[in-house]
Parts: sequence; C-alpha cells; structure tokens
Amino acid sequence: MEPKFKIIEFEDIPSTSEKAKELAIQNESPWTVVLARQQSNGHGRKGEAWFSPEGGLYFSVILPKSSIADLQTITILAAFVISKIIKDDFNLEPLIKLPNDILLDGKKVCGVLTENVIMGDKTLVSIIGVGLDTNIKEFPNDLKDISVSLRQVLFKEIDNNEILEKILSELKNQLEIINQNNQ
Amino acid sequence: MNLKIKIKGREYNVSVEDLADTVVVNIDGNEYVFDANGNGKAQKENSGFVKPASIAPKNSKQIKAPLSGVISEISIEPNSLIKVAQKLLTLSAMKMENEILAETQGKVKEILVKKGQAVREGDLLIILE
Repeated sequence: MEPKFKIIEFEDIPSTSEKAKELAIQNESPWTVVLARQQSNGHGRKGEAWFSPEGGLYFSVILPKSSIADLQTITILAAFVISKIIKDDFNLEPLIKLPNDILLDGKKVCGVLTENVIMGDKTLVSIIGVGLDTNIKEFPNDLKDISVSLRQVLFKEIDNNEILEKILSELKNQLEIINQNNQ
Repeated sequence: MNLKIKIKGREYNVSVEDLADTVVVNIDGNEYVFDANGNGKAQKENSGFVKPASIAPKNSKQIKAPLSGVISEISIEPNSLIKVAQKLLTLSAMKMENEILAETQGKVKEILVKKGQAVREGDLLIILE
C-alpha cells in the first residue's frame, strides 16, 4: 500500500521546521513531512530551545496555502488532535495550555509551533512543527520539573511511526473541514 | 483570530488578539481587554470589525502588520537597501511566528516599531523609499 504522506527522514538535523521551510520555498508539495530522530537546534516560540534528543517525535509539515485565520485555527486544532490521541490511545488526561502546549500532570509533553512566511498580503509558506516527548528516558536538571515524556508516565515504549501517522491523518482531516466551512 | 460562535441559536463574531501582556477579545464590536491573570474589562464599545488594512489602498513601500501580535525580531536597519523577498521582521502572534518579507526593493526610510512591541493588524511597521 502506498504511504499516505511523503516523509523525509533525517538522523540529526538542526531543526525540522527550518528544513521544511527550505523545502517549501523550493516548491516541495504540501503535506510533505520532515522527520528527525533528533534535532540539534530545535526551537519553540521566539527561538526558545526545544530539548530534542533521540527518542522523541520531532516533525514539521508543509501546509497547503491557507488564510492566516485558518492557520491560527490549525495550530490550536493540532494541540487538540494530539491531546485526543494521547487520551484515547494511552488513557491519560492531557491538558491543553492554549493555544499550543500539551501538559501531563502539569508538565509539558508536547509543543506545537506554526511558522509562516508572508509577503504583502500573501502567505508564501506555512509550516507546522511538533515536538512530542514520546520515548525520552530522562530530562536534564533544568527541565525535569517542567517536562515529561509518555514513556516516563506509561513505563513503556511508544511507536513513533504509528502516532505520527495518526496525527498527520487527523490534522489533514481537520484542515479540510476548516477549508470546507470557509467556502 | 476570527471566530463565529453560536450560542443558543445566536451567532457572535469574535476576534482574539494576543498582544504581549494583554489579550483583546472583540465580541460583535465590543472590546474586552484581559491581563495575564485573566482579569478583564470592557474597553471600547462598538469598535467594529473594519480593519485599517482592508480599507487602505495597497502601497508596497509601506509595510503593515498582516495580523495583530508582537514584534519578535527586526532584521533590517534604517537606511539599509532592501531586495525583493528579503526578510524584514518577525511578528509573533497567537503562537505563530510570521516572517514578513519585502514585496518591493527600496531603502529603509523609517522603522516605526521596536522589538517586543505589540502591534495591531494594519499598523504601519516600516516605510521604504
């Protein structure tokens, strides 16, 4: 069976979002996914570092051309989609810290960041980046009180490929619903 | 962010703007401002939904904010020469980072904003000549 999404996988890159942005500018198709086993320069909002060692799920998706209002909605919906998967698949109670962080027992387990490149009134490129702490064994001292991984809570390995496929399928569904409602 | 919310059959037009330390919520033209602790108050009634950017004539030498947010990075300096598609600044809004590129070439005449400054949709940010 043909895979639903084109996934470009890297062992170790500075940032999946930077790579996805570069590919989007070179006309790579929407819904292409850049996936990394680890990031050396993963970042969140305002360039804040995102701890990205091996074990976590780090990916960025090139989004189809959409209005800025729809992109704001998809950022929030991404957090909702991921929370729902965590709740349904692992029987946990995640909390969405609006608009884009997901917490488990008050500690951050996932962050979502959308980045746009805008010229005049046109959005040239939109990328949504996700960092989900799936199989991280332990966090450094400065993060261990504020971050947590699914493995630490569930005491088992998570299948990153399976959870990635679910997130992508649901994100695509949600964006299609938003676009239909705006037509 | 613009939303339509239906409550008991009545539809409300709602916009939410994240402006650094405050969040401005506009419900059918009535504006409410909330601080970081969630304390809110009505600020202005019937401010309407007409945005300056939508009524002003397009001028690619005047760079305006495409949405409300906070200036997180300025990538140019006054008097510098700008090429088409050069990055001018980054505007952070509702957890989205937005790189604003130049639509036209020119010389930076004036930068009207500073890093960390909150701006609203349609505000003039940079003037080129």
